[in-house]
Amino acid sequence: MDGRSADRMLDVRLASTAEFDEMYDARGEPRPPYVSLAATLTHLERGEVQSRVQSINTTLLQRGVTFTVYKEELGTERVLPFDVVPRILTADEWAHIERGIAQRVRALNAFLRDIYHEERILREQRIPRELVYSCPHFAREMIGVDVPRDVYVHIAGVDLIRDERGELFVLEDNVRTPSGISYVLENRDVLKRGFPILFAGYAVRPVDDYPARLLQILRHVAPPRRPEPNVVVLTPGIYNSAYFEHAMLAREMGIELVEGRDLIVADNTVYLKTTRGLSRVDVIYRRVDDDFLDPLYFRADSTLGVTGLMNAYRSGNVTVANAIGTGAADDKAIYRYVPEMIRFYLDEEPVLQSVPTYDCTDPKQLRHVLANLESLVVKNAYSSGGYGMLMGPSSTAAERAEFARVLAERPRNFIAQPVIELSSHPTLIDGSLASRRVDLRPFALCGADVEVPPAALTRVALREGSLVVNSSQGGGSKDTWVLQG
Amino acid sequence: MLSRVAESFYWLARNVERAESVARILDVNYVRAMDLYATHDGRSERLWRSVLRCAGFMNDPASEPNLHAAAEALTYCAFAADNASSIRSCVRIARSNALAIRAELATEVWETVNVLYLFVESSNASSVLRAGPSRFLRRIRDATQALAGVADAVLSHGEGWNFLQVGRFLERAYMTARVLAAIEVDDEPWAESQRLLEMCCASEPFAKGSSRSPEARDAVDFVVLAADFPRSLRFCTREVDRAMHRITFAPHGTFANDAERRLGRLRARFDFTPLEELLVLGPHAFATEATIEFEELGAAIETTYFPRLPRAVAG
Repeated sequence: MDGRSADRMLDVRLASTAEFDEMYDARGEPRPPYVSLAATLTHLERGEVQSRVQSINTTLLQRGVTFTVYKEELGTERVLPFDVVPRILTADEWAHIERGIAQRVRALNAFLRDIYHEERILREQRIPRELVYSCPHFAREMIGVDVPRDVYVHIAGVDLIRDERGELFVLEDNVRTPSGISYVLENRDVLKRGFPILFAGYAVRPVDDYPARLLQILRHVAPPRRPEPNVVVLTPGIYNSAYFEHAMLAREMGIELVEGRDLIVADNTVYLKTTRGLSRVDVIYRRVDDDFLDPLYFRADSTLGVTGLMNAYRSGNVTVANAIGTGAADDKAIYRYVPEMIRFYLDEEPVLQSVPTYDCTDPKQLRHVLANLESLVVKNAYSSGGYGMLMGPSSTAAERAEFARVLAERPRNFIAQPVIELSSHPTLIDGSLASRRVDLRPFALCGADVEVPPAALTRVALREGSLVVNSSQGGGSKDTWVLQG
Repeated sequence: MLSRVAESFYWLARNVERAESVARILDVNYVRAMDLYATHDGRSERLWRSVLRCAGFMNDPASEPNLHAAAEALTYCAFAADNASSIRSCVRIARSNALAIRAELATEVWETVNVLYLFVESSNASSVLRAGPSRFLRRIRDATQALAGVADAVLSHGEGWNFLQVGRFLERAYMTARVLAAIEVDDEPWAESQRLLEMCCASEPFAKGSSRSPEARDAVDFVVLAADFPRSLRFCTREVDRAMHRITFAPHGTFANDAERRLGRLRARFDFTPLEELLVLGPHAFATEATIEFEELGAAIETTYFPRLPRAVAG
């Protein structure tokens, strides 16, 4: 036995798994885009890898690339675990994703315009009216309100997964205040600085123009007759789990990061309180949920928002991005109708598949769900971060009984789907490579048209066998390379 | 600039400057106290009491903790969470202000603050004492001085930077006044004037500037009135005044608000009053009055620029 091989990294030819492996094919050979990376990994020494990983983690901590974990000690800061083995997407794969996501976001925008105006899709009974009206994020305040350039969803994060055959599926749309782009930007930067050798032999599309593109679309949707619009980022404040991201985007766009208390509304116009008096605000990229935006309209106890903002918005004096009421489009119960929206508004067939979803408000489908809990995933439509979910195959009888009870009680709050195996990707765990499940969140920007920058977040479930990639549940992230064509 | 942002620049600078002053004061006195290890004549206790007067409890002498041993005083001044002027508290406050203006701070500035914070949070009193506090205190000083340098070198010298200058020099003047108020120059003129110079980082500049064998009065003169020494009351007052005028654009010699009026009066006092006249009631009375003036100046700056905003509530 070669004595040196023990120090080498690559014993990565992992036992073949049921799920789709992003890096290796069924015979254990690296897929074409991964050949070069696999060769590089083979020649690395374990000690070197470890020390690079350590220095990357120190960099992330010192930069403050952290998120806040609640529930434990009040507001503990953590570095989102970063895995140095990158995920690679070819130009062709990306072109497909790009087309699919742009199509979806166009349809979602058309849907939002429609449900707050003509309601064509409801009148033609393509989507049940009561389903839309019962969405907690449906905003009656938005009925009849025109938003600049008819854009509701300015920024979307669409979660994709790959099943065991390698087919891509949309798992969910996030069209309220999707987060994660800061990790995309930081991951690339720390990997390039901390592990340059991995990039050998690759032409990776850069991600660092994302903030400039974001600013461009935000300026594009400014109220009319404001040629030099003042754009701000609205954050709930330093205790918010995504504060790092809010600050980063504001900094990179060169615009103010503001809290609700920095803003004031007078004559239906929003102003900033500055050391030199009031200064008008035209566009608010808000990272505050609808419910907290304006205590006059929404939660009266909110101190995160701005009193009078909604009136200024409805008067057309300020643009809020994403628009208020977009949550009706990413409601889990609405999800199954997105292919229908694509056909209805765009007269196209969906490029990306959706996961088959059972509507529990339909008694027939509910009966089927209740009879097959063991093989299904049941999701609470109104909790996120991987909470409130039943993973049928790994559940206990008691858990299933509990879900059966609440399902029968409040079917509108739940959806059920077959279990889709997430694809896996070699990931560095305790100094060796191991198979871990991943998803993919590309971001779409919508101004004059929908664009999908080659900046996607790969989240990875670091716990062995886990299918939950959320950062609150032990998830980490990977740098994601979109290759030049 | 947002008022809230200006305020965070100001408190960031004040707290970092205070951490540096406290670190220097502790270091000077810890080394001096080692000369008094085996003495039992009360000198050691007196020394630590004076340290606590300038670096420990700040405004309420009634809260004076009964900590007159080196280890206890050092622990209190460096790590106590209930002491808002402890190094740890100052660094925490500085860091949360830096976080609040993360979008305005250049990344290199933020990282300097964050690295300092991570260092202090990973240190504790017992390990610091075991290793001898000098190393720890030295790193605090290095980091705080690096911050001033990085801020000067990478931030635009606009409004935010000027608020940093206001905070930094106001705090520095305030700490110099506190140190002056805490020494007992009448009891041991030579030793106490040396201690004063060291605590103000003034020994070497002072030695360079004095041709004859110095007297206690010369040391006081230096830390109060030296025109070019960057920790003297006169120098610091001038810097605060300049930064304020860069913010308001008011012509020199005039004022745009109450804070600038107070500053003009203070500047005239330090620029044109002979030391004998300033010290007519003795150095202690002078220094005590000066600390009050700087506190009132701080309050005037806050009222002018940071009208109370409702606090954000998490969640």
